[in-house]
Amino acid sequence: MRALAFAARSLVRQPGRTALGILGIAAVGALLFDMLLLSRGLVVSFRDLLDSVGFDVRVMSTDAAPLGGPRVPHASAIAFELAALPAIAEAVPVRLTDAEASTRGTRPIGFSLMGMDARGRRPWTLTAGRDLGRDAADTPPSLLVNRLLADALKASPGDEIAVRVVCAADRAALPPVPFRIIGVAAFPFDAAAERSGVASRASLAIACGGDGGDDADMLLIASREGYGPDAAVAAIRRHRPDLHPATNDEIVARMQATGFTYFRQISAVLSTITLLFGFLLITVLMTVSVNQRLAEIAAIRALGFSRARVAADVLCQSALLVGCGGVLALPLGIALSIWLDAILKAMPGIPSALHFFVFEPRALMLHAALLSVTAVLAAVYPMALVATLPIAATLRNEVVS
Amino acid sequence: MRDTWRLALSSAIAAVLCAGVSSFAPPATRRDGVPAMLVSRQLRESQKLSIGDVVSLSSEPSGAHPRQFRIAGEYEPIPDPMRLGAVRHEVRLHLPDLIEMTANPADPLAAESVDALNVALPTPADAASWARETAARSPGLVLRSTANDDRAGPFIVLERFHLAIAIVTVIASSIFLLALMLMLVDERRETVGILRLLGVRRRRILLHVLAEGLVIAAAGAALGVVLSVAFEGGINRFFQWRYDTALVFVRITPAIALRSIVIAVPLGVLATLASSWTLLRREMFSLTRR
Repeated sequence: MRALAFAARSLVRQPGRTALGILGIAAVGALLFDMLLLSRGLVVSFRDLLDSVGFDVRVMSTDAAPLGGPRVPHASAIAFELAALPAIAEAVPVRLTDAEASTRGTRPIGFSLMGMDARGRRPWTLTAGRDLGRDAADTPPSLLVNRLLADALKASPGDEIAVRVVCAADRAALPPVPFRIIGVAAFPFDAAAERSGVASRASLAIACGGDGGDDADMLLIASREGYGPDAAVAAIRRHRPDLHPATNDEIVARMQATGFTYFRQISAVLSTITLLFGFLLITVLMTVSVNQRLAEIAAIRALGFSRARVAADVLCQSALLVGCGGVLALPLGIALSIWLDAILKAMPGIPSALHFFVFEPRALMLHAALLSVTAVLAAVYPMALVATLPIAATLRNEVVS
Repeated sequence: MRDTWRLALSSAIAAVLCAGVSSFAPPATRRDGVPAMLVSRQLRESQKLSIGDVVSLSSEPSGAHPRQFRIAGEYEPIPDPMRLGAVRHEVRLHLPDLIEMTANPADPLAAESVDALNVALPTPADAASWARETAARSPGLVLRSTANDDRAGPFIVLERFHLAIAIVTVIASSIFLLALMLMLVDERRETVGILRLLGVRRRRILLHVLAEGLVIAAAGAALGVVLSVAFEGGINRFFQWRYDTALVFVRITPAIALRSIVIAVPLGVLATLASSWTLLRREMFSLTRR
């Protein structure tokens, strides 16, 4: 009989103990799996989110985090200059501000307003009505709103609303300006409870009474096919050394070095603890089990089983326990990650499309590798016990007792 | 000029979030009448500034139109969970100095505008009603009670996250404990059988097991609390060093220690009872049979 089959029968002989061992490993393994998903989940998800917008380079006026620094002045002229570079397919200035919207007789509702002159790529998905385009003369400027804002205003495409824009922190509030809702859109960076909208930068400037009319918080750049974001960044740095372009990867790397480190640290700490816990669990289970079976093991040694064979039996038992627990840990871990993700996504300002736990094949491989190492390490002591077992003395003790 | 550097400055009292090129003035060129400012510990350490140094600040990205300030002191920024991991390069200026540096000269209102006014009420409980009345008198003002400060939001979420992790850990530990106790009890099968043969009642044996489980669980829980208290300082020091913050990450309070004991001890006793019960239910001869 092969070692694996023999180990399986040994485990089946004690179903309660084996089931508890597997369940314990499954619980520990599920936590380990989740920590592996968490370790890079936010980074992977954030990169996907940035890439999903369709622009692969952001240009700011300083090295500050996007939207954290001073605005880029003369943004239209800069966008025109940059769009003429061979490595760049599209350059779009974006301005972000806070605003209040109200319909007749309702209280003002705060929302984030994006000013953007979208041409080809649009960082939103239209779900109702029509998209932003050129506004007809003598009509209120067009506005796309997200579903939450539309519902809060009880407005639908075609309705006219009053919007008061907070143009600058040091400016008194200006009177409301009429906007016409032309559609409803989903914005990828919206938090779950965030109300938002987008209008053209020109209409935002009008609402601000011309204040900071051509400023932009950043420029979104799409690199031309065949060049890539790195070439676009290099071209921008050569052409405008005063600007600070960054590829999506660079932005993710910056965020990884600051904002995301907490979850990486937590993940590393909890992964280590869960592995240690799993190691202890298997070691104790195997050691106690071996201690209870010393006479049996001595007997099979006396029947001709080699040291290597009985050690292999213990290793196979450990591998079977960890293997079954590890496999069971995957669905448990996925279910647990959904719960934990929902908890963490309640954090204020987190885009609803962002996830803390993201599945990657790399995480699965690492999970399997870590559990395998744990199984082997946990089996070392009980293997040493059975390998060095004195056959005659053990059998004699068994008979005498 | 000793050095030139570019700083991202953020001020708690105004929306000047970034400043441009600044430069040191050598001590010999210090003049009276230079306005004073405070620098955050992080900024002072990273730029090797000293109290009494005169530095130039600009609110423009290009560093144009700088103004000189004398460093009067250093402060520890208020720990802010929303800015965990952010480099706290900050300065604090007197409000008139800040307005003079940042206000648009073409805008007469700029010198009279601030981002926010902090108001301390004689009776903090009246905050909500005072906010309502003031908002009604001054349309356009946004009044928010600090009791509803959403900066604690991330920590509340993290607390929930840690609680969830703790629940999973407790479940895994309980399974581990039960498996271990089953094996330990199984080792005592013969002893229990002999006791039963000697006439010791099941109830008596169960009480004995219960007392033993209670002692083991209480000792384990106490050891856990001692270990967590021992690790508390180290964990805090590590994360405070890692994030360069004064935030306290782990605090073992008596309530938390008590909660741990209240959860751990009954779990330990239950595991002991559950594992022992399977043994005590058996016929006494089956216990002694090999």
